[in-house]
Amino acid sequence: MREEKEWIVEAEAISYTYEGNERKALDKVSLKLGRGRKIAFMGGNGSGKSTFFLCMNGILKPQEGRVLIDGCPVEYTRKGLLEARRKVGIVFQEPDDQLFSASVFQEISFGILNLGVDEERARNEVEQVIRELGITPFRDRPAHALSGGQKKLVAIADILVMHPEVLILDEPAASLDPKHRKVVRSIVEGLSEKGLTILMATHDVDYTYAWADEIVLLHEGKVLRQGTPRQVCGDEKAMEQANLEQPAVMRLYRRLVQRGILSPEEAPPKTIEDLERRISG
Amino acid sequence: MIVIDKLCYQSKLRYINASEKFVYTVLTLILCIASRSAATAAVVFLVNVYLTVAKGGIPFARYAKLLLIPAAFLVASTTALMVNLSRMPLDAFAFPLGEWYLTGSISSVLAGLRLCGKALAAVTCLYFLSLTTVMTEILGVLKKLHVPGLVIELMMLIYRFIFLLMETASAIIISQNSRLGNRDYQTRVRSFGGMASALLVRSLKRSGTLYDAMEARCYDGELKILSEERPAEKKELFCIAGYELLLLGMVIWSWMR
Repeated sequence: MREEKEWIVEAEAISYTYEGNERKALDKVSLKLGRGRKIAFMGGNGSGKSTFFLCMNGILKPQEGRVLIDGCPVEYTRKGLLEARRKVGIVFQEPDDQLFSASVFQEISFGILNLGVDEERARNEVEQVIRELGITPFRDRPAHALSGGQKKLVAIADILVMHPEVLILDEPAASLDPKHRKVVRSIVEGLSEKGLTILMATHDVDYTYAWADEIVLLHEGKVLRQGTPRQVCGDEKAMEQANLEQPAVMRLYRRLVQRGILSPEEAPPKTIEDLERRISG
Repeated sequence: MIVIDKLCYQSKLRYINASEKFVYTVLTLILCIASRSAATAAVVFLVNVYLTVAKGGIPFARYAKLLLIPAAFLVASTTALMVNLSRMPLDAFAFPLGEWYLTGSISSVLAGLRLCGKALAAVTCLYFLSLTTVMTEILGVLKKLHVPGLVIELMMLIYRFIFLLMETASAIIISQNSRLGNRDYQTRVRSFGGMASALLVRSLKRSGTLYDAMEARCYDGELKILSEERPAEKKELFCIAGYELLLLGMVIWSWMR
């Protein structure tokens, strides 16, 4: 068996500037991302999250620095890019920017066929992912008749059918109703349990605090902070610089400890529900 | 167009094999046009209405309304065939206009009516296809017929994005209206221009992201997709073959007369 590297994706001082822009979208970003981890990317609009993601599977080629997948530098040749994109899949923020076919089945079959598998296998894979993600009830509807949440599920299926090792989700919960947000989050949770590495851009501090193994805080194309949720969210200066509030549960917990209601010895709670349970004893 | 698309997705004949419906449409269309008798047109018309409305479950009122659109064009163009302006009154009808007559002969009136019926029957053929077969499946059939890939890919993308374009446009128009952008003629013109340019910019941006998203899924210049095929039923194939043979018989008979 192939030796598994600890880092699935590494960025070594990558910089990227969009054509016609003065400012660097990414400015010497160095990150090591661990295999099988749940990593949240936070930061305001224009902080470089999306640009970083596009660099991760070779859509954008950093002008400086290099990207390593599984310990090997990405080669910007046809074959090298194919390999990178097979391993690293991106679910785009806006499903309407991603779905190109009006038919759900055709849409999902696109990625897997591009990997060069035969039709029979592709058909089975597509059917399987349709079942797994619960797309069956609306599979026969045209893309323009799907709701935002349904389109999102198809967009995720688009990528999962290719069996990536790293799944990048660019603000997956943005503009979803609570029901679909829950569905999407439970799907992501399931994938993470299967061992996929998940990179997720999000603005939801409370959710991230409970969900992530690790948070990367980006600001103006630079890494402001990388660490566990408690380290990053506890860094008030960095959080303020990134225009983020601290998680509600963290603020509440700190006050409760100050007032002597909770003892500082116990590990801080991760969710509001957790905190509720502790207070009610 | 949107109405047809919506109805089509509701049709009970939607899950019938697409090639089967396509072949039926094309053969019937050819035979209907080749025939010289009004009877063929009448049969084609009735059978298509029966299939689309009774079998497909398209509401009759909706269908009738859809038929009225081409019917209006047909009436306008066939009147031109039936009516003559001449100094001598002809046998069918004649309205005096000073020294001239607005007049027509029985044979020209009959020819006009026959043509009108034939054209309307041909329209029902096309309505049958577009009201029972979804666009993506028609494209699948075209692919089997070896229509160039580029044409099919373009059709597929256009079909998908025409809806997005209209959605965006209507969102812009609503937001303009809510800011009194259609108050008078001048603002209306300005608002329309604004909408058009906003649409262009957004479309360009969207096409850029779409291309990125496709590249992220290993796109290499050819849109490879699978189509879903439902098996053709033998019974249906026999029915179609029998019906087309009957039509062929009628056509030959109409030519021999």
